[in-house]
Amino acid sequence: MDSDEEDFVFYGTPIAREDDVNTSRKKKSVAEASGQLRTLAPWKQEVRDEEGRRRFHGAFSGGFSAGYYNTVGSKEGWTPQTFVSSRKNRAEVKQQDILNFLDEDERAELEGQSLGTSSQFDTFGFTAADHARKHAEKEHQKRPSAIPGPVPDELVLPATDSIGVKLLLKMGWRRGRSIKDSHTDVAYDARREARKAFLAFSTNDAKTQLADSEPIHDKSENFTEQPASDDVQSSQNTPVYVLNPKQDLHGLGFDPFKHAPEFREKKRSRVSDNRGPGNKSALLMNNSLFGFKSGKAAPGFGIGALEDFDAEDEDVYASGYDFEETYAEDIDEPTKLIMDSKQKSVQKEAGALSGFRLASNSDYQLERFDPPVVPKDFVPHHKFLGPPETSYKLGDPGPPEVPPPQDNNLKLLIDGVATLVARCGKLFEDLSREKNQSNPLFSFLVGGNGHEYYTRKLWEEQQKRGDQTKLQLDGKLSPRTQKMTAESRGKILGERPLERSSKDLSTSIPSTDAIHLQYNLSDTFTDPSSYSEMPVVAKPFIHDTAKQERFEQFLKDKYQGGLRSTDSGRASHMSEAARALERLDFEAAAEAIKKGKWSKEISTSLTGGMEFTSGGFVQAKDTQAQDAIPKEVHVKRTEYQWRPSPILCKRFDLIDPYMGKPAPAPRSKSKIETLIFTSDSVKATKEEETIIVKRDSYQMPQPEAQGISKDAADNESGGEVEVENVERPVDLYKAIFSDDSDDEEDTSIPNEVGNPEKKAEAANTTLNRLIAGDFLESLGKELGLEVPPELSSSTNKAMNSAPPKETASANSRIYSTYSVEDSSTLNVPHGREIVQDRSSEKREPVNGNLIGNSARSNSTYAETASLGNQVDKNISEKGPLQDRKFKTPSRRHRSSSSSSEDERSRKRSRRRRHRHSDSDSDSSSDHQDRYHSRSKGKKKGSSREKSSSSRSHSKHHKRRSRDSPSRYDYSPEKERTETKRDKHKRRD
Amino acid sequence: MSVSDLPKKEVNVLKGHEGAVLAARFNKDGNYCLSCGKDRTIRLWNPHRGIHIKTYKSHGREVRDVHVTLDNSKLCSGGGDRQIFYWDVASGRVIRKFRGHDGGVNAVKFNEYASVVVSAGYDQSLRAWDCRSQSTEPIQIIDSFTDSVMSVCLTKTEIIGGSVDGTVRTFDIRMGRELSDDLGQPVNCISMSNDGNCILASCLDSTIRLLDRSSAELLQEYKGHTCKSYKLDCCLTNTDAHVIGGSEDGSIFFWDLVDASVVSSIRAHSSVVTSVSYHPKDNCMVSSSVDGTIKVWKT
Repeated sequence: MDSDEEDFVFYGTPIAREDDVNTSRKKKSVAEASGQLRTLAPWKQEVRDEEGRRRFHGAFSGGFSAGYYNTVGSKEGWTPQTFVSSRKNRAEVKQQDILNFLDEDERAELEGQSLGTSSQFDTFGFTAADHARKHAEKEHQKRPSAIPGPVPDELVLPATDSIGVKLLLKMGWRRGRSIKDSHTDVAYDARREARKAFLAFSTNDAKTQLADSEPIHDKSENFTEQPASDDVQSSQNTPVYVLNPKQDLHGLGFDPFKHAPEFREKKRSRVSDNRGPGNKSALLMNNSLFGFKSGKAAPGFGIGALEDFDAEDEDVYASGYDFEETYAEDIDEPTKLIMDSKQKSVQKEAGALSGFRLASNSDYQLERFDPPVVPKDFVPHHKFLGPPETSYKLGDPGPPEVPPPQDNNLKLLIDGVATLVARCGKLFEDLSREKNQSNPLFSFLVGGNGHEYYTRKLWEEQQKRGDQTKLQLDGKLSPRTQKMTAESRGKILGERPLERSSKDLSTSIPSTDAIHLQYNLSDTFTDPSSYSEMPVVAKPFIHDTAKQERFEQFLKDKYQGGLRSTDSGRASHMSEAARALERLDFEAAAEAIKKGKWSKEISTSLTGGMEFTSGGFVQAKDTQAQDAIPKEVHVKRTEYQWRPSPILCKRFDLIDPYMGKPAPAPRSKSKIETLIFTSDSVKATKEEETIIVKRDSYQMPQPEAQGISKDAADNESGGEVEVENVERPVDLYKAIFSDDSDDEEDTSIPNEVGNPEKKAEAANTTLNRLIAGDFLESLGKELGLEVPPELSSSTNKAMNSAPPKETASANSRIYSTYSVEDSSTLNVPHGREIVQDRSSEKREPVNGNLIGNSARSNSTYAETASLGNQVDKNISEKGPLQDRKFKTPSRRHRSSSSSSEDERSRKRSRRRRHRHSDSDSDSSSDHQDRYHSRSKGKKKGSSREKSSSSRSHSKHHKRRSRDSPSRYDYSPEKERTETKRDKHKRRD
Repeated sequence: MSVSDLPKKEVNVLKGHEGAVLAARFNKDGNYCLSCGKDRTIRLWNPHRGIHIKTYKSHGREVRDVHVTLDNSKLCSGGGDRQIFYWDVASGRVIRKFRGHDGGVNAVKFNEYASVVVSAGYDQSLRAWDCRSQSTEPIQIIDSFTDSVMSVCLTKTEIIGGSVDGTVRTFDIRMGRELSDDLGQPVNCISMSNDGNCILASCLDSTIRLLDRSSAELLQEYKGHTCKSYKLDCCLTNTDAHVIGGSEDGSIFFWDLVDASVVSSIRAHSSVVTSVSYHPKDNCMVSSSVDGTIKVWKT
């Protein structure tokens, strides 16, 4: 084979073998599938079948196929949009619109980017029509018509004419007219002549108008041989539809005014009345003689009755406008005439009513009056007919100098009035006197307080004025009208006015009156001109004399009427803006002065800030009122406890003063409890060192361990009796520090106590009596009180099996000591008894089961509290425990929180036992000990270790020392602080 | 210090705030000053060169007070949006926001270690906020005031607050006690003397009162200015020789500390002078006003 091949000469390219071709195609298709070819631009990519072949339809059926069998992009169809929405990338709601479905060229067309004929060369008006359509669409969106939906194309016509139409129009074609040369010149000329004749007969103006219009006519005639416009001819033509938007709600094609076109006009005019001012005349026109021809008629003045309705004529006055636009056009017509001869046009307009003719002459003549002749001796100054305010001459020494009244306001008022009077004349004085007859402030006018000063001031002012305008001074007038008052007479005679005590009123005038006066002034004289001579302090621009001057001028201008020169020279150097700014400034200043007080406060109110309720009368009052109040400020220092949070201390790098001390009492649910119980765990330390020592001496003989050991013994032997008594304080403590950690101890007790109810009661009460009696006895001794014998409550007596004597004494002591001592100690045992007696049924289950329980403790507490009220009225007074004001020491004690009372009383009783241990029975002391240790345990909240008890002991003692001030002599000062602290704590 | 040394010459006007400037404060060394205002921004300035350095924006309402730590690294600010913002000075970003006041925050202060921000609020409380922990809860709420607390001062161991209820209350953390000094007049602003022995309390009866801190004795009253409805700051010069206070008519008053005479008064602003702050070392002062300007005064 090889040798054969060598011999052959090959021409052309050999045809690839079938399998080779297949492999290469396959490779290609595989590569395509793997996306290698995807990188190609779309127009370079080719569609191939799975074999890698291009499918060829044949040259006439589209060449190679595209897409999937010339349909879609792939076998699966168009790739659907994938919806992806993650938390960060929220999928937007896509609004599909027509653009999504348009090709690029369509889009370009839609957006007006396509090539089109410009309106300039728009022969057939396509572009214009396009524009019109778009415009119509836009408009349609803006104001929906009665028919919903888009405007049909047929209804939308271009607003501008196509160039062809324009050309035609220029050549003389008119709308609604066929392009047909049908008229004869003869007819046309005849018609023209007739018109000329008619116009010649008509009024002058018509002539002028004719002269005006003639050349135009000629011109148009030159242009074209206009067809004679008979009605017949014009009707041959296609009508021009004026497209009005359908604004009524009638059915399509329904014409309510079919047989009454007049009403249509009316209706239209009514509608269009709202549109513009020009419509009135349009209405006039249409109602006029010529206006009625048809809806399409072009109205005009120059067209006579003989005239045909001609397109040419239309052209003259209403050149091819739409009908509606002619309305506006009509206005121009008469103005043309007006220019010629005004008067006639007026007449014409007036007589333009249909069916009326204008009168040729009117009898209405405008009358003219000659100005009055000014007499030669006329002086252009007004002379007041009032009395001369100054009878004395200028050289007159005038009234004597008088010190101004003390009241600054009055002085100012007088100054102001004097100035005014000097300026305005005596009449003003009379007037104000009349007006303010009742006003005590104006008493100076009628000779009251400050009158001398007023006269003096007035004289001064007049002198001043006299100097300024010697001749203008208009004061001296005929004395005939003057009412001679005593003052004036005295003035004339040079009498010295009687001295009046000027102090009588001035001081008594309250500040409010001064303000009132200000009001009155402003009411009466628009504004007192005394502003112009404000006190120096009131000058807001004192640092800028020029400005101040301008300001004063401004004030003068503002508050004084009359002529004034246009003072351009004064501030001419200032720019317009600066002047305007200054003017604003002045306005504000003047306003402030007007409103504000007269004194120095003005300057502050001038610059009043945003939240500043500036000046005003309120402020004026305020300051005066405040001045009245003596400003003695004593700093009162009070001291409270305050507990910084540990973290605050840490952050401030300080040692927490309350470190290791129990946290403040947690909020208990009951409202009463929060009111009554407040933690007094926190104590001031330094105060009672000495007392602590003393207390410790008492404390020492009472060994701790013994108490504890006996505690247990108690529970065994006669315990039942005491247990309940003992339990209560514990329960109270629980109420305070509701910590259930030491329940076991408590629960162990009631188990023993539970059953022999009656016995326990009896024993209990007796024991209580004993204890209470002892305690009170000692207490009384200590206090040195004479205890008045008092009968105990009947309930106690009746129920008690205890010896009545003792009970009585105990009770009496209890009651007597209430005033001095906390009642709760005494109450607790007593109350307890009563509870048991009265509501033993209720108590029984409670007693039996759970003493140690917190619920139980709460209930017992409540009972004791209520019992406190039952036992004695005195105690019931304790009710308003939260009363913060302490009237008497005893009251104060009572009002301190009952929890502390309980605690204290408990301590007290304990201490009492320590002292009178000989008199106490063993059991009682045991009880005491046990109770004590337990309470301490409670107090510590969580720990029941006996080892720490010594500390708590000392604490108790400290406490006690403060609680019973009468017993130990220590200063009431400390006591007060103590109660204050309590109070404060409660507030916290 | 003689009267002539008082800073009465205007050397710079710091403009930039739109609307009233409510406070202007020097930093510890007096090289910079901070201002805050109704335009809800805090601005950092170099008052000596009169340039604006930075603006801190985040507050939703007006910023009433701002304070900077001793090391100039952090800011705290409070305002009408009831929040206290804890800022990083350099980056200008808010590190933390403390919410909890039930009313606008009138004053804020850092403590010495910049670990706690104490804020005084319209809700009648003083609150302490921990800057060290991540917690945004107040570590202490002092609500013994009976009216809006206008101003707060801190010492190493005490928190002092002045309130509209007329009291200046000193909360001694070390002692665990509160001293309430009732002045009888609404207290607008309190400021400590540099020796720490006195408190200057600006009251709403147009009087500034000087209190001895240890004995609660009223040492002196300074009158002459107008202070009736604004929170106007007062301060002492760095030598404690004079008392400086703004007035509602736009002037600044200088009183002699001892005899309470008006040594001088300058017409400083066109409107209410809201704040004055004295340079810690030099004879220099900044004042801010409702007219939107901050002015720097030197001798």
